[in-house]
Amino acid sequence: MLLATKLALASERVSARGVEASEFPAEADRHGVHAVPAMVVNDRYAWAGSVPEAAFVDRVLSAAQAALHSAT
Amino acid sequence: MLGEREQAAIREAFVPIERDVEVTLELGPTATPVTLLAAGGRELDSNAITREVVDDVCALSGRVRLRVVEHGEAGPWPRTTIGDGLVYQGMPVGYELTSVVHAIVEAGRASPSLSPATIVRLAELDEDVAIDVYVTPT
Repeated sequence: MLLATKLALASERVSARGVEASEFPAEADRHGVHAVPAMVVNDRYAWAGSVPEAAFVDRVLSAAQAALHSAT
Repeated sequence: MLGEREQAAIREAFVPIERDVEVTLELGPTATPVTLLAAGGRELDSNAITREVVDDVCALSGRVRLRVVEHGEAGPWPRTTIGDGLVYQGMPVGYELTSVVHAIVEAGRASPSLSPATIVRLAELDEDVAIDVYVTPT
């Protein structure tokens, strides 16, 4: 959650939202979340688990690119 | 709601805050209600607990201002928005209390605490990126 927060504060292009999965199970189910922490990027499940900053940025940007290509 | 040790730890965590941070807490009926139980089977009122926790946290820094909005219509409540758009949906308790405290601290910094390499990569972004992080309190 903290890295997503930092990225959102550092870039106007990035927004971050934390969701308590047990309070909002319908949202978690819709995104295919089975373990936490789980990352969903541009409305698509990306990965579960904590990773260091550089890997986090790599994964977020890759997931965003994948979501963009699948939408076009 | 917060014990003395927790309050002291949060006060210390808030020391790096350099600028004012607005926190907006939205409460109301949940669109997809679930029954949350504490140890012993007691039912939890997520709006009431969130109100108490966020009230307590925000009172621990003169730099943090809290605004509370009560909704009559069902929605993703309780929702806590920090600064310009960092959102936390649900009760900020357990590990997630730490997440909200850290988000307030980050929003109150003059510059982000990220590596220069990350800052460069973010500057190259030409598309919007929405990150949702699913968590649980334990």
